[in-house]
Amino acid sequence: MLLDFNKLGAWKWGLTAICVLMALFLLLPILFIVGLSFGSSRWLIFPPPGWTLKWYAELFADPRWLGAALTSAKIGVIVMVLSVALGLLASLALVRGTFRGREVLRAFFLTPMVLPVVIVAVALYAAFLRLGLNGTLVGFVIAHLIVALPFAIITITGALETFDPAIEDAAILCGASPWEARLRVTLPGIRHGLFSAAIFSFLISWDEVVLAIFMASPSLQTLPVKVWTTLRQDLTPVIAAASTLLVALTVLLMIAAALIRKGKSE
Amino acid sequence: MTTPFLHINGIRKTYGPVVASDHVELAISEGEFMTFLGPSGSGKSTTLYILAGFQDPTAGDIKLRGQSILSTPSHKRNIGMVFQRYTLFPHLSVGENVAFPLRVRRMGQSEIAEKVKRALALVRLDGFEDRMPAKMSGGQQQRVALARALVYDPPVLLMDEPLSALDKKLREEIQVEIRRIHQETGVTILYVTHDQEEALRLSDRIAIFNKGKIEQVGTGPELYANPATHFVADFIGDSAFLSGELAGVQGNRAALRFANGQKVVDIPLHGAGRQGQAADLMLRPERVELSAEAGAEGASLPVTVQDITFLGNCTAVAARTDWGDAMTVRLNFGHPLAGRLARGDRLHVRWSPEAAHAFVRG
Amino acid sequence: MFSAITAGRRGSGLGFALPAVLLLFAFFVVPVAALLTRSVTEPELGLQNYAVLVGSSTYARIFFNTFFVSGVVTLITVLIAFPVAWALAIMPSRWASIIFAIILLSMWTNLLARTYAWMVLLQQTGLINRSLMALGLIDAPLQLTNNLVGVTIGMVYIMLPFMILPLMGVIKKIDPAILQAAALCGATKAQALRRVLIPLAGPGIASGALMVFVMSLGYYVTPSLLGGTANMMLAELIAQQVQSLVNWGMGGAAAFLLLVVTLGLYAVQLRFFDAKEAR
Ligand SMILES: Nc1ncnc2c1ncn2[C@@H]1O[C@H](COP(=O)(O)OP(=O)(O)OP(=O)(O)O)[C@@H](O)[C@H]1O
Ligand SMILES: [Mg+2]
Repeated sequence: MLLDFNKLGAWKWGLTAICVLMALFLLLPILFIVGLSFGSSRWLIFPPPGWTLKWYAELFADPRWLGAALTSAKIGVIVMVLSVALGLLASLALVRGTFRGREVLRAFFLTPMVLPVVIVAVALYAAFLRLGLNGTLVGFVIAHLIVALPFAIITITGALETFDPAIEDAAILCGASPWEARLRVTLPGIRHGLFSAAIFSFLISWDEVVLAIFMASPSLQTLPVKVWTTLRQDLTPVIAAASTLLVALTVLLMIAAALIRKGKSE
Repeated sequence: MTTPFLHINGIRKTYGPVVASDHVELAISEGEFMTFLGPSGSGKSTTLYILAGFQDPTAGDIKLRGQSILSTPSHKRNIGMVFQRYTLFPHLSVGENVAFPLRVRRMGQSEIAEKVKRALALVRLDGFEDRMPAKMSGGQQQRVALARALVYDPPVLLMDEPLSALDKKLREEIQVEIRRIHQETGVTILYVTHDQEEALRLSDRIAIFNKGKIEQVGTGPELYANPATHFVADFIGDSAFLSGELAGVQGNRAALRFANGQKVVDIPLHGAGRQGQAADLMLRPERVELSAEAGAEGASLPVTVQDITFLGNCTAVAARTDWGDAMTVRLNFGHPLAGRLARGDRLHVRWSPEAAHAFVRG
Repeated sequence: MFSAITAGRRGSGLGFALPAVLLLFAFFVVPVAALLTRSVTEPELGLQNYAVLVGSSTYARIFFNTFFVSGVVTLITVLIAFPVAWALAIMPSRWASIIFAIILLSMWTNLLARTYAWMVLLQQTGLINRSLMALGLIDAPLQLTNNLVGVTIGMVYIMLPFMILPLMGVIKKIDPAILQAAALCGATKAQALRRVLIPLAGPGIASGALMVFVMSLGYYVTPSLLGGTANMMLAELIAQQVQSLVNWGMGGAAAFLLLVVTLGLYAVQLRFFDAKEAR
């Protein structure tokens, strides 16, 4: 009976209350930032004494914010492409390969995800100091790719595992070469997985803080680095404005991901 | 000797210690419907996959019209195949699925359209071109798969248990379709199944697989009337086996003695056997009857009734010989004995002598 | 079943993995190994960095902070996540999907944006202190940031989705008939909860808790923004040693300790699940 919502009696209300409180706990801080970003108080008084767009004006007037956003976008797109490409190849090996030790390889691919990012960040920082990659676009891309790749691999192997290899075999017997079969049959068959992997990879790169702090130089920084350095000086409402835009982007990407999922179920 | 159309020549395939196919030898003529029948794991699919080029044989050769095809990669073999699972390309419409083999062959647009139309008409799915596979039933999907496998006029069509995922009624419906398509197209078909009824219904000839080997090849009636081995006799038809030992062997006829001392003589013997060796007497059910009186000498045995089950058109009587072998005899509805039997009754099973076969146990 | 094509005629497929393997080897395995090596070679060969790390009370304080906060965060997260996951697993799907969307939104919202919100909410003149004072519950503002209270609140906020989502999957897989059977056997709701539902969800709870604990141990952003410099945790120590003090030996040693604990707990989790599946 405990797993039938309508048979829970009074407990039903208890559980519902906990759920609603938790949802508020998760949601309110986000709504709070959105509210602050339009509030006129420099000292972040809430509810604000008046409403204004001046924090957004300040944000857009500062070329460093815009530059950081552009850098983030550029890195995010490159990471997305590389992560999906490498992730696809690696997943083909993991799911369709016949060599021994595939499970070990899979665990190896996922380790950057389980290790604390700070270790990866410090280790790469040291390596990049030697290689002269600190503060370069290449450095950022490599660092973000290391942490995005496991997510791409998880998503794409998931899609490949549910795609029957006999379908690829059928295409080959129909006369398609193995590569043609992969391109014309398998890739379209797992396209939802590839899109999700792309969205995940972009978001991970776009939001990455710790690695970015270590990779950044005064001349090249991503949006999270800019937020970070600003935050450490002062809790200015400009950050609320920037954060609100980030939330908006997240919502858009979530809607895109939901649409992809819906397309898949149809 | 003329070269056979398709020659499976001594194919052997091992996976490490597992022998999946063991010297499979088979000649198939053009337009023939050949079925591989056998229990799970007997090497039917393995043989088919070697034909398709998905697996390389450890030894042996496959010749089509006298030419070895082993060095030709799968996609150049021009062989059609319908798989056990649904393998339509999920992102393409029915029409595009059927067009796929023609597109990879870079055929012209109008020719493709015409061939697709004809292939869909063949499987009676005219007008389904724009339907997506996910919106079709399993039976329809397999028919599209059949159209896709036939659209490029392959000389050989392979089918690996294509109907096993469908329910019984639909299965029978599509079996009729497959027969019709075979007749209309004249394509050579290699069909895999472990359902003997399906095999008998569809095939010109059946190859019985067991443990990677072909035990016997023949038409349905041949296999039924003259099974070459104990395995074939057991696999085709619902036969009873009574255990005994060889009391005498003369050429390929033998005398058998049962544990109660009774003897049956002059029975066709399958397999080499010496006097004193254990052997089974096989009886086909339709040649066996139950009676209150003993029959002719050597064609009758006393049994005890164990259980009686009414099955509609017949009554199944489970009986046991004095030395413990079980057998089932069916009495047609209205049989005079049917209503009067009880557990523990002593009766006689009688059979026509020409219906009995002896198989050396081994 | 196998893919006949890749299994039979083509190569083993290992080549496809090569680009990713090379990337991870060059920019993950080698750098991490190099960092760990520096812990025993800098400033000179030996284990002196580890001796300092284990021997000093400053560092002991940091270890205590790290494990204590992670433990408390895990405990609170489990206590909130279990009922929520349970409810989400059985709620009418319209309601569940709204709450689910909120969880996903919070999970995917930029980490710094979320932490910023808590910094503002929890500060001396922040909404929470002002509300509490307006309600007359307190006279003077509470110190909620720059200490472990702030860190704990911020971390619970971040870890909740990671606990709820897998736990929901686990509970959804439990057959309701088992609990119907428990009720027919005479179990009250409380008994069924304690003796059936919680034990059945137990492995899921344990593995989720372990994951949250491990993630908390190595967390950097939230502790450094909400905890302030006086209440350092292990990840901050590593960053500080390397960035501000340029003491690679100590940084490497601290990283090694964190790595060992993380991988050790991760291995426990893997074993735990293997054992469960083997049953
Ligand atoms: N890739 C493989 N690796 C190892 N053994 C295999 C492989 N493929 C098949 N086998 C083994 O070869 C034997 C024959 O298998 P095959 O698939 O040909 O049987 P089948 O007659 O088609 O059975 P079914 O009716 O179950 O489909 C089995 O023992 C099987 O376990
Ligand atoms: Mg098979």
